[in-house]
Amino acid sequence: MDDSARRLLQRLIRRIPAQMLKTTLEKWGRLTAAQKQSMDFTEPKWAFTERLLDICEDNGWTGKHITELEMTYVIENPNQGMWYAFQLMDPEDDARSVELTHFKEQFKSHLSELARPVSVKIKKHADDAIWIRIAWGDSFSRPNHLKPTYVVHHLQTPYVFVTSLTSKQKPFLSQALVLSTRHQAIKDASLSGRKLGAIRDLLMRQYQQVFPTSYPSPLAERNGTVSNPQIEKEQAKSAENRLQMACEAFGDGMLPQLQSSVYKLETKFKDHTNKTMTEREEPFRCVVKFASTNLLESLRHCASSGIASTPVTPLLSSIPLKGRNYFVIKDNGPGPSSQTRQTQN
Amino acid sequence: MSSLKPFSKLPALNTANILLVESEEQLQQSLAAALVEEASVTVNVRLAKSLPLPVENEESRPRIDLVVFIINLTSELSFQSAEASLKYLDPGYFLGKVCFMVTNARSASVPTERLDGVRKLAASLHCPLLFAEDQTSDGVTNATERLLTMLKVAAGLVPMATALYLSHLTRCTVPPDIDQPSFD
Repeated sequence: MDDSARRLLQRLIRRIPAQMLKTTLEKWGRLTAAQKQSMDFTEPKWAFTERLLDICEDNGWTGKHITELEMTYVIENPNQGMWYAFQLMDPEDDARSVELTHFKEQFKSHLSELARPVSVKIKKHADDAIWIRIAWGDSFSRPNHLKPTYVVHHLQTPYVFVTSLTSKQKPFLSQALVLSTRHQAIKDASLSGRKLGAIRDLLMRQYQQVFPTSYPSPLAERNGTVSNPQIEKEQAKSAENRLQMACEAFGDGMLPQLQSSVYKLETKFKDHTNKTMTEREEPFRCVVKFASTNLLESLRHCASSGIASTPVTPLLSSIPLKGRNYFVIKDNGPGPSSQTRQTQN
Repeated sequence: MSSLKPFSKLPALNTANILLVESEEQLQQSLAAALVEEASVTVNVRLAKSLPLPVENEESRPRIDLVVFIINLTSELSFQSAEASLKYLDPGYFLGKVCFMVTNARSASVPTERLDGVRKLAASLHCPLLFAEDQTSDGVTNATERLLTMLKVAAGLVPMATALYLSHLTRCTVPPDIDQPSFD
């Protein structure tokens, strides 16, 4: 095993938390039963790494196998780093019939043409998600496996989720994706978050939604807990209305965990008491950020408890409705207008 | 505007009715659950976020013996909501049938002006001011006991004691140096 593979393995073992080492190696599936027995998961990581390196030498494994292990770990624990969502636009006629092997060949060949040298690994996960690991190189060096980009795509959906992509690499990835999925363009979906499952559920609406109804009895059935007849809520109806409107805007039950939403304002300053600021011609630029461990849950609670007025303002309800958490607001439109985001880095 | 009147309805036998008004709607739930467990008297609890109460409930609502305003000191909104609700009470309630309960008084993030403001409000209305600890079940039990003592008197269930008489003893007073800066 050469030096870079060795370093990759050391980095990887250091990165994986001790309690997950056993399961990750199990899922990797390359160690024989005897080798698994010989591994001591309680010893310190540097000793463990040495032992694993010995086994790799014995079996003649290379960097390719180590990247496979890394990919296994990342697929099981995707909630590290920031994931960004992209949307493919304008499908061609045969976009619906793109299937896995065809996509794999096309993607690999297009990307290798555009960004030589590059190391691409594609794997299909159980839930129909295609995971792609890309290690980028340039004309002076071999692919750098220490900073790979991960891409997740569900075929036949227009959504792609990417992590660890620099602005230099972005055009190559975009072009390769567009060509291999038979679309004409790709755009930034203005949605980012730490949990891959959450942003995917938000975009694909995989959470329980509540639709407007004239007869709010379904909610009344749910509140079976307050049964003591001696306790009565005076304003139960308005509380129910607020809860109904909050659930209509954000959904019911468990909500996808978003961490923040950012509003970039480029509107004119409006405050009658402050003449100097209001008289300025240029728009007042300001960024408002809402952050929380579970943003949608917090916003729903704000609406149902009356802190945010109901019906919920479109600024907040667009987060689940349009599936985005970055908005640029200008004076011309009534609601939030959509703009493409600056590339990260 | 519709205000809540203290003596416009007839009382029921061995029953006391209490109204808990709280903007956050948190402590009132646990207090209500503890209050209804009182065995000697039937306690009916009405919960509200703020006053005025909806007109639809006017007929079914019993005579309210004690109105408790629960103020969370860490929130300015809570204080303002309670203050705004006071207008909707008939002045007859302020003769011993209103009480202020305050939570999180020990929290470091509370500005001293807010507690002083609540004190002054309670003193100007001749109402008692209770401090409650809402994070533990013991705290809720203690607060419930104190409320029950006042409630039984306000409902007329304690012989020889009336709400006005009790409020004379329990009402909040403001120390004369309340506006002086305190030592921190």
